[in-house]
Amino acid sequence: MLKNVSLTIEPGDFVSVIGNNGAGKSTLLNTIAGTLTADAGDLTLAGHSVTKKSVAYRAKWLSRVFQDPKMGTAGELSVAQNLTLAQRHTHSMSLHLYRNAQQEAAYQDLLRPLQMGLEDRLTTQVKYLSGGQRQALSLLMATLSHPELLLLDEHTAALDPQTSAKVMELTQKIVETNHLTTMMITHKMSDALTYGNRLVMVQDGQVKLDVCGAEKQNLRQDELMALFAE
Amino acid sequence: MLITSIGQGLLWAPLVIGVFITFRILDIPDLTTEGSFPLGAAVTVSAMLSGQSAVTASLLGFLAGCVAGWVTGILDTKLHMPSLLAGILTMTGLYSVNMHIMGKSNVPLLSQKVLTNYLPATWSVDLQTIVVGALVTGVVVAVLIWLFKTRLGLSLMATGNNAAMSSANGIYTDRMVIIGYMVSNGCIALSGALIAQSNGYADIGMGIGTIVIGLASVLVGEIFLRGRQIWLRLSAMVLGAIIYRYLLTVAMGLGFPVDDLKILSAGILVIVICLPIIRNKYRTRQQLKRYLKQLGADEHEAEPISSLKRQASPEGLLSRDTK
Repeated sequence: MLKNVSLTIEPGDFVSVIGNNGAGKSTLLNTIAGTLTADAGDLTLAGHSVTKKSVAYRAKWLSRVFQDPKMGTAGELSVAQNLTLAQRHTHSMSLHLYRNAQQEAAYQDLLRPLQMGLEDRLTTQVKYLSGGQRQALSLLMATLSHPELLLLDEHTAALDPQTSAKVMELTQKIVETNHLTTMMITHKMSDALTYGNRLVMVQDGQVKLDVCGAEKQNLRQDELMALFAE
Repeated sequence: MLITSIGQGLLWAPLVIGVFITFRILDIPDLTTEGSFPLGAAVTVSAMLSGQSAVTASLLGFLAGCVAGWVTGILDTKLHMPSLLAGILTMTGLYSVNMHIMGKSNVPLLSQKVLTNYLPATWSVDLQTIVVGALVTGVVVAVLIWLFKTRLGLSLMATGNNAAMSSANGIYTDRMVIIGYMVSNGCIALSGALIAQSNGYADIGMGIGTIVIGLASVLVGEIFLRGRQIWLRLSAMVLGAIIYRYLLTVAMGLGFPVDDLKILSAGILVIVICLPIIRNKYRTRQQLKRYLKQLGADEHEAEPISSLKRQASPEGLLSRDTK
């Protein structure tokens, strides 16, 4: 549940959101994404009021990486098909044939930097990929059409520590090169402190702490812990 | 006997393809089938009796099926009903609609020219049926292969596979589900139109059991022809329809009365659902045995067998793979 939350995310911000279980982090994210609709108040995305709009409508400006690697990709479809779905500039109802060699070469170029060997597995069904590969693909898909806002929903929580670190590193790289405005929910305090220029702590459905810039850089883990305990 | 089965199977193939679209692509068991099949027949026969040509009448049958699918789609997505209930409601409503269209429970064609009459009269009935069935099914399969290669088709597949991901990627999943229902029931009604012309009449009861026939044929087809490419999957549906017809013909040849065909259909469905489960169980056990034999060469431990056996869960045709 959220109570009177007012949050403005500036273009180029990388906001880390932390909070206890049940504090309202996910509710906040779901409200922005459109999975939940706010009972009261307004939500504006890149200058468009989307308070009552559907998830699909908001997808014009917004991308999301889910916590569960299985959620962000269609398992029965191939890597290339999943990437095609993420290309928002072609309408989902269009009758154009979607496969062509040129496109596939472009996909391979996109997948190569992930260094997971996915560029050779364009026709593999995504369900045969590992969790880390699926999550890296989700991340790539979410950033493919340069969204105005990227939502990361504890996107490394379901991965093992090593893969988690790799995906986090990849996230940082993609966000920086594309100058994406990002909002990341995380359970890992260290990630919240390391990544992003802004930190928001949610507690009891309200924003408890909102620091950015130098103030955020100087924040230490024990200080944060102390705030949690209050 | 086989020749007749091929002809009849081809006439039933659009129905199987229709069931495949909702059941496999959208992952929805759609009971509208039982109403849209006789709807296609009723509309076609009525249109022919009022002077339309067989081609126009069959197309009208197809369109009527699309409308039926649209209704179920609206009930399912916009009114948020469980898809099973949505199908049952449309199916039940269609009974009255069909009665109104036909005026009575059985309407025979008189001297109207059906699709097979466009072929040379010197050809045998079986050959005529095969040619008409192959032409219509061929067109349906070709159009669907094209559809599933377009962005729209991809969106349809994605919606059935992972709705949350699809909407997050800007696909209006409700629309996709409605389109899927419409295409599916259009095909099913088209099959009804073909069967009515082949039988020479439309009957209010001809839809009973069609969902079982459809599902059984889908599963039979998938047992014989497995693959990922859409043309292969659609061909499997056509094959399934033919094999299923053949199984029924064989059963009738064995002396089963016509009234028992429904229970036979149900029996076949049970068998084709269970068969892959048993086969998988058997295969897992064989693999396990081989594996343990290799292990046994080094260690003589029989303890892990039982625990491993319990863990190996069989995977049936009806169970969806992990997404």
